[in-house]
Amino acid sequence: MFEWFKWFTSMENTKPFALVLFFVTFIGIVLYVYSNKQRGDRFESYKNIPFNDDEGEQSTHPEEVNK
Amino acid sequence: MKHETIETNAGWLIALTLVVISIGGLVEIVPLYFIDSTVETVKVAGKDVVRPYTPLELRGRDIYQREGCYVCHSQMIRPFRDEALRYGHYSLAAESQFDHPFQWGSKRTGPDLARVGKKYSNQWHTQHLIAPRSVVPESIMPNYPWLMNKSLSYKDIGNRMRALKMVGVPYAETQAEYDANVKRYGKEVADQLDINKAEENLLAQAKNGNYDGDISSISEMDALVAYLQVLGTMVDFKQFEDGHFAEFR
Amino acid sequence: MANVTTQSPEQYNYDIVRLFTIMTVVWGVLGMLVGVYIASELAWPFLNFDNPAITFGRLRPVHTTLVIFGFGGSALFATSYYVVQRTCQTRLWGEGLAKFTFLGWNGAVGLAAVSYMMGYTQAREYAEMVWPIDLLIAVTWVAYLVIYVMTLRKRSQPHIYVANWFFIAFILATAILHIFNNMAVPVSLFSLESYSLHAGVQDAMTQWWYGHNAVGFFLTAAFLGMMYYFVPKQAGRPVYSYRLSIIHFWALIFLYMWVGAHHLHWTALPDWTSTLAATFSILLLLPSWGGMINGIMTLSGAWDRLRNDPVIRFLIVSLSFYGMSTFEGPLMSLKSVNALSHYTDWTIGHVHSGALGWVAMISMGSLYHLVPRLWETKMYSDRLINIHFWLATIGIVLYISAMWVAGIGQGLMLRAFDEYGNLAYTFIETVSFLHAPYVVRTIGGVFFVTGMILMAYNVYMTIRKGKAEAAVLEAKLAAKLANA
Repeated sequence: MFEWFKWFTSMENTKPFALVLFFVTFIGIVLYVYSNKQRGDRFESYKNIPFNDDEGEQSTHPEEVNK
Repeated sequence: MKHETIETNAGWLIALTLVVISIGGLVEIVPLYFIDSTVETVKVAGKDVVRPYTPLELRGRDIYQREGCYVCHSQMIRPFRDEALRYGHYSLAAESQFDHPFQWGSKRTGPDLARVGKKYSNQWHTQHLIAPRSVVPESIMPNYPWLMNKSLSYKDIGNRMRALKMVGVPYAETQAEYDANVKRYGKEVADQLDINKAEENLLAQAKNGNYDGDISSISEMDALVAYLQVLGTMVDFKQFEDGHFAEFR
Repeated sequence: MANVTTQSPEQYNYDIVRLFTIMTVVWGVLGMLVGVYIASELAWPFLNFDNPAITFGRLRPVHTTLVIFGFGGSALFATSYYVVQRTCQTRLWGEGLAKFTFLGWNGAVGLAAVSYMMGYTQAREYAEMVWPIDLLIAVTWVAYLVIYVMTLRKRSQPHIYVANWFFIAFILATAILHIFNNMAVPVSLFSLESYSLHAGVQDAMTQWWYGHNAVGFFLTAAFLGMMYYFVPKQAGRPVYSYRLSIIHFWALIFLYMWVGAHHLHWTALPDWTSTLAATFSILLLLPSWGGMINGIMTLSGAWDRLRNDPVIRFLIVSLSFYGMSTFEGPLMSLKSVNALSHYTDWTIGHVHSGALGWVAMISMGSLYHLVPRLWETKMYSDRLINIHFWLATIGIVLYISAMWVAGIGQGLMLRAFDEYGNLAYTFIETVSFLHAPYVVRTIGGVFFVTGMILMAYNVYMTIRKGKAEAAVLEAKLAAKLANA
């Protein structure tokens, strides 16, 4: 049942396999994330989430405190 | 499926994360259990030479773990010229096949101990453990005088061997298991691996070995020195041609 | 400054965050003090005092457990509970269960430390806890996962902010690692001792799969979660690129799981395994640096803040150390370099540039951001934060440099031959050589722990201040009510 695992034990198989596997996945994610302008803008809008609940919070930043 | 679905749904995020983090471990760990050459068989005259620890050695190993020796001493010699000169033949996978857990270590604040067995006398080890700087002035090892004063507890030795048997160490409890061990290791070793005679064997080895130089009682020192003296001695490399083990690397 | 946000204590569960914050500081001080002590033992071995409980072999796991699981773990509980509430804008799910995670986690850390000193250990690095403590940790961890997921599920934001992804990956991975690495058969039901399920090669592989992913997920992914929230918040500007953070996440969690076997180069582990691990270790440089750049670039256009905000300084320097140690790591995973560095203090130095430089600095920065918000006041002293920053930085530099000298020096001595082909040095000669670097390392540790003690004092005074201010306010309110 686990015989196919033996394929991984040969360096000639494992190295290109690892490279292809990682690279294809990586390129896939990169394409997905960067290919579409609209999608990109949507993603970038999420970076403001940590600032959405700032009302009423006091800043400890020296510059702002000194104002 | 859209990425948007993943990032707005905690379930999908969890499932995909699980898949992604599982691949690496599966590919690297699982084959180690199924590829026969991972742990080589080492036979001399048809008998396995790497055997499980005797009851006394086993208790010594427990003490080795308790004191955290593995923190400063490795038990894994690498195939380099300097290590060969300093410590001996590189370690085989077979030599730690009964080590639950392995004690290869990760740091050599002190020297490697994989083949320390039989290199020094029992007296040297005892003196060195009680006061390392009395034999090696520059040593930074702690003193372990209490090993000499504490008598060894061995009442649970049967339970210990049974627990190890459950995880795959061939200690014998039934006649059939004993016979299998005779076939695999020879009678002398098979007797030592018999759980029913564990206490008797432990007492006899401590008495005959006289590891700590004090015959009147069995101390923790007896057990620890017995363990240290067996490390790396099971495979006699003179029996094998040079390079015999290279194919398993 | 009278903008008291009275609604926030009800809106969010800050009590549990406060508790974990306090324990972060407590474990930090204790764990680092033990660290300095065992460093001293290596420089001056008489400090072992022939006392079993404080010998190096037993105290070393006390140090690693207190700093990794005590300090690091509590910091992660505190910040993850805070971040998940703030980014989901919802209260933490499960009041009682959250308290249970507090008791379970800190109980496990405390019990572990005491049990090592008594000689109870599994003799597996960073997983020394005996099996009953392992069970306690497992139960606590499941509770943590449930709380986290349930809180995510009742969020009012459709999108799950990326910091939470890192926290989720950390919780899941730690659960898997903990369970598989600690499988063992106890000697008996009433014995604390046990024997591991795996042996030899397989055990080594399992242990370092665990060991390196403790670094990868516990000490890296989770702290990246911390980074993705606290760096933007403290800088007052959103993270440089959200798209980069998505790539960072998937690449990092995928690659990390492969690299553990680089701890086992040249051992009896089959070559293919450790070579594969080394290959992935090199690849890992990409997401690591992607994340670092994302963090540092968040500050672009506001570099002046480095000058006048000590908290920002903590965060940015921690990212720099993260970049440095994630470059050093792949380097050390190369077989040729590893042949020299393995078994020496170079590894110890590398771990500490990550642990002190990255993990501790980002935690300290985050805590300095967190504490005034939790107790609704300002930090007691910004000057002390600044002094802490410099003590910590000097301490780390001393520590790492000493360990480079010690590790590379010893590695070279051990492989040196004289003109006749004999070994040039005995082992014990290299031990004598290590004395000076060990003293310098101890001094570096003293600097670092002094900073930590200042932090404890600063946090204590801030809490006192916060409580006093709250009392004054309440009195005023009561007076007003009475007059009305």
